[in-house]
Amino acid sequence: MNDMRIVERTVDANKAKMTARGVQVYYGATHALKDVSVDILDNTVTAFIGPSGCGKSTFLRCLNRMNDTVAIARVTGEIRLDGEDIYDKRVDPVQLRARVGMVFQKPNPFPKSIYDNVAYGPRIHGLARTKAELDQIVETSLRKAAIWNEVKDRLAAPGTGLSGGQQQRLCIARAIATSPEVLLMDEPCSALDPIATAQVEELIDELRSQFSVVIVTHSMQQAARVSQRTAFFHLGNLVEYGETGQIFTNPKDPRTESYITGRIG
Amino acid sequence: MTDATASVHGSLFQADARTRRRRAAETRFRAYGLGAVILSVLALVFLLSSVLGNGTGAFRQSVIRLEITLDPAIVAPKGTDPEALAKVTTIGYGRLLDQEVIAELTAKGIDTAGMSAKDISAMLSKEAAADLRRMVLADPSLIGQTITFDAFANGRIDGYFKGRVTMESAALDSNVSPAQLLLAERMRDAGLLRLAFNPGFLTAPDASELRPEVAGLGVAILGSAYMMMIVLVLALPLGVAASIYLEEFAPKNKLTDLIEVNISNLAAVPSIVFGILGLAIFINFAGLPQSAPIVGGLVLTLMTLPTIIISTRAALKAVPPSIRDAALGVGASKMQAIFHHVLPLAMPGILTGTIIGLAQALGETAPLLLIGMVAFVRDFPAAPPEGFFDPASALPVQVYNWTTRADPAFMERASGAIIVLLVFLVAMNAVAIVLRRRFERRW
Repeated sequence: MNDMRIVERTVDANKAKMTARGVQVYYGATHALKDVSVDILDNTVTAFIGPSGCGKSTFLRCLNRMNDTVAIARVTGEIRLDGEDIYDKRVDPVQLRARVGMVFQKPNPFPKSIYDNVAYGPRIHGLARTKAELDQIVETSLRKAAIWNEVKDRLAAPGTGLSGGQQQRLCIARAIATSPEVLLMDEPCSALDPIATAQVEELIDELRSQFSVVIVTHSMQQAARVSQRTAFFHLGNLVEYGETGQIFTNPKDPRTESYITGRIG
Repeated sequence: MTDATASVHGSLFQADARTRRRRAAETRFRAYGLGAVILSVLALVFLLSSVLGNGTGAFRQSVIRLEITLDPAIVAPKGTDPEALAKVTTIGYGRLLDQEVIAELTAKGIDTAGMSAKDISAMLSKEAAADLRRMVLADPSLIGQTITFDAFANGRIDGYFKGRVTMESAALDSNVSPAQLLLAERMRDAGLLRLAFNPGFLTAPDASELRPEVAGLGVAILGSAYMMMIVLVLALPLGVAASIYLEEFAPKNKLTDLIEVNISNLAAVPSIVFGILGLAIFINFAGLPQSAPIVGGLVLTLMTLPTIIISTRAALKAVPPSIRDAALGVGASKMQAIFHHVLPLAMPGILTGTIIGLAQALGETAPLLLIGMVAFVRDFPAAPPEGFFDPASALPVQVYNWTTRADPAFMERASGAIIVLLVFLVAMNAVAIVLRRRFERRW
């Protein structure tokens, strides 16, 4: 693991953006997530790592209540966004998801034009009053997602006609167009080649200045490269959570050590 | 050491027993498949050729071309105002026609020896005089002029030229005699009588047993069109709304399971059952008129709904869940996700299902018999929406109706009606394909 750029990094003493306390998730009779408590810090990239089926994606989907769409899923415990319980009865998941955006594993642009893909979120949330404002949002989002230069001449072209890496960056642009506060990314690079992966990783680092980013990844190198804090999940448990440098160089739990050195997983 | 190198497998150039059996099984299976395809193609060819062979005659009709001078003394003895004109009956026009036929025969030098004027007059359709009268009433300025009028020949004369009536059958027939047939042949040779395209087959109403030559599909086509309008307007929104609710919103419990099973079963319920239902509910209970397109449309709507619901649900299910996730992920509500993203993608499938349902409804006969659409209707229904409540016929019912009549001339017309029905079905399928192409976005 010598190739990892794990150096002493300064982790800003940011305040917690989202706090999870005692989160349990059941899929029917399966206990998928056991008593997870995590603080997601503001302006920080937090990586969730762990072997397949360890519950990291499940936990990610709890953070914007995407698990609501799974009929058999049941979530208990408490998750707060800026101190407000997102599972409170008064919370409409629609409003929550505008503030906690999500990028999926497989690029999933709408079968519409590039412009409409990005403009869809602002449109349904009424974020732009005029066409000019909407154009501005689309341009800013595409610029932030580092894809503007590639698509500015063909905004009317179908989003599904782009390459895999471009599609994923388009999806990121779509997610940040609603000005979310937290951006959830579920293995955003697993369908991409190394070049596109590098572009997306660079992007994630830039996005950190404006959002709190949570990324689920199977690649420990990626976690080490992009994140400031890392959480290691194993069999539904949160085994260890701390600064990325500490997790990779000086893990406290033997299971973490086994995983990052490749003995389990 | 040759034994050590011999493998358990034989030479690649020699097929072993197992491979040979496998190959034989594959060859047999292909032969079965090919046989099945050939058999069904032959059946289709036989069906189409028999229908086309029998039915194309219905579009051509024997007519006798006459130059008629509309003598005001006969057609307008009391002046040309509409009321006075209406007082002149078809008998008056009949006399005019008879005179004209005999005059034409003498002018062309055709031998009519041994035939009475009545015999000659009977060679014209009983409807010819009425046709002429309608023409004059519609346009009184024709009075006094000499017009070219194609009078329909009697159905038996027409049948003779289409091979349905022979000299032998005419000898036994009280409606036609061999002498008349011979005269008709002479008239054809003189250019007086010919087979001409008959637009009346598509536009005229049904006619009675004695005048098959003027029976047309006008009322039936209109009635079928009205019913299809009703089915489309009711079944498409109802079916799509029901499918969206069941597929996307309904809680998964025993009740929705029961509803789902019942919808699937409804699609297999014999259509005549829907007819009884329609009779009981729409006519006996709700008091809607019999033979009306509105009742037929409602019954066919009930029948079409399960088809539309099943195909719409399949189309909704086929939309990749990633699209739903994407929409929900940017904060769309469930309904926005469905209406903005899922439904447009499911549209081709929904339209295909709808058109299949409509085509099924267009060809449905049994339920319509029960609600009185089998009645003999000569009056065209009015324009919608009032026309929905007027008596009308329907294409498949008209086919059924004509096949039950004694005169073989109606058999030809039934085959012709089947051709029209098939043309409508092909047209609807073409529309389905065009719509699917238009909505299908492969990006």
